[in-house]
Amino acid sequence: MRRYWRIFQEFFRTCFVEELEYRSEFLGNLLSSFFGVGIAVLTVQIFFYQTNQLGGWAYADVLILLGIFNTLQGAIDFALRPNMSRLLEHVRKGTLDYILTKPVDSMFYVSFRHLVFWRLIDILLGVGLIIYGLVQKHYIPSLADILMFSVSLFSSLVLIYSLWMMLMTTSFWVIRIDDLSFIFYSFFETTRFPIGMYRGWLRILLTYVLPAAFITNTPAVALLGKWNGVTTLLSIGIAGLFLWLSRRFWRYALRSYTSASS
Amino acid sequence: MFRKYIALIRMKYVEMLAYRLATIVWMTGAMVQPLITMVVWTNIYPSQSNSFILYFITLIFVERMTSAWDVWELDREIREGTFSNYILRPFHPIHWAIAENIVYKVLFLIVLLPIWGVLAVFVPALRPDVSGWQFVLFVTALFLGATLRFMFSYICGLLGFWVTKVTAIYGMFEVVSLFLSGRIAPLSLLPPILKQISMYLPFRYMIGFPIDIVMGTMTRVEIGYGFFGAMAWAIIFISVLRWLWKAGLKKNQAVGG
Repeated sequence: MRRYWRIFQEFFRTCFVEELEYRSEFLGNLLSSFFGVGIAVLTVQIFFYQTNQLGGWAYADVLILLGIFNTLQGAIDFALRPNMSRLLEHVRKGTLDYILTKPVDSMFYVSFRHLVFWRLIDILLGVGLIIYGLVQKHYIPSLADILMFSVSLFSSLVLIYSLWMMLMTTSFWVIRIDDLSFIFYSFFETTRFPIGMYRGWLRILLTYVLPAAFITNTPAVALLGKWNGVTTLLSIGIAGLFLWLSRRFWRYALRSYTSASS
Repeated sequence: MFRKYIALIRMKYVEMLAYRLATIVWMTGAMVQPLITMVVWTNIYPSQSNSFILYFITLIFVERMTSAWDVWELDREIREGTFSNYILRPFHPIHWAIAENIVYKVLFLIVLLPIWGVLAVFVPALRPDVSGWQFVLFVTALFLGATLRFMFSYICGLLGFWVTKVTAIYGMFEVVSLFLSGRIAPLSLLPPILKQISMYLPFRYMIGFPIDIVMGTMTRVEIGYGFFGAMAWAIIFISVLRWLWKAGLKKNQAVGG
């Protein structure tokens, strides 16, 4: 574990150096991140221009949810997304061999090798939005709330990672598509709003099959002090289950991987 | 001219076949956001669910039929210098783009119409009460919308002769148009000031206007004004396009040139 943490730090350092070569783009990226958050808030405002609750959530609650969404999206764009297209290329060209022969876990390597730093701004903006939502609501979370929030946020990160990894692993078979991440984002969009909004089979699907409910909703509810132990435990369980599944799937895919020349 | 187009269309058709899977994935993905927005609105106004379902399913259809991607193609081709190949040919490059648009949109039509048909069997809201006259108006508005969006995208692409980040600029316009074209909300639900602004900008005529015709919420005068606005923007876009094309060719220096 310690060793992997050190390797991750090393990835971090090399990517940071790489990114410093493109310093001039920083301002543009900063602006586009602010623009993105601004538009998201504006969208919520358009909805609340016509109503005062959405799936049982008030304006401030939805802002907190949006903040969590933005934070998680930032995390995806920071660590996961940059690696997707590269794996596709490795599989297509057969250069995955180089990674498989390295004395590091291949799944770890392909998912964290490339990092895009300026996306950390999105995480900061997301946190800012969460705080703004709390201020709007005049609610100060207790220590227990924050603890529960952190646990469920961690589960959602694991969950996102597993779902992402499963999608990425399909690239061993589907190499015609240049950007599979598009599929993930389409699904991820559903977590932008309260899950209570969805009805019937759609809600069941988004809670149990593709656990969107556990990604943004559970942490938001926890932060607002409405957590319960069972849900939190459930979120940890589901995250663990999905991580195990994605691991199995990766192994299975590797077994069927035949390098480029064979 | 006609024979040339047949040849172009055949070529683009073969190209498309190679990317079938990607096309289908993009198409399905593009439906997600309107569907989520639809769920939001049916939550806000449960009693009007049916009209929101019709609105947003029509939106998906109109959005696909008017979609434009030429800015990305042009940006890449101009930046990498491969655009010169097209300039050399004795045929305006825009015809390639138009042929491609025709091929893809026929494909969208072939996929989407049966889906609509099947859905309509189960969802009564999807059987709109549209008169023959209204239908003609809708198709005309849809065609105008597709033309406007295509030209707008092509204009932004041609800006690539001068600036390198055209896709970022286009992305910004796309986001603004989310609100002003009726994709986040039917224009009648927007704050009045935004609604006012949308009447004068081109975005509404690309997507929202054809949908409003199907919904039957506009008076005759409003429809008349709508067509006037769409035509006016079409004329503006055509002139800008011609002018940019001439100016751009003078400016163009391919990579290595």
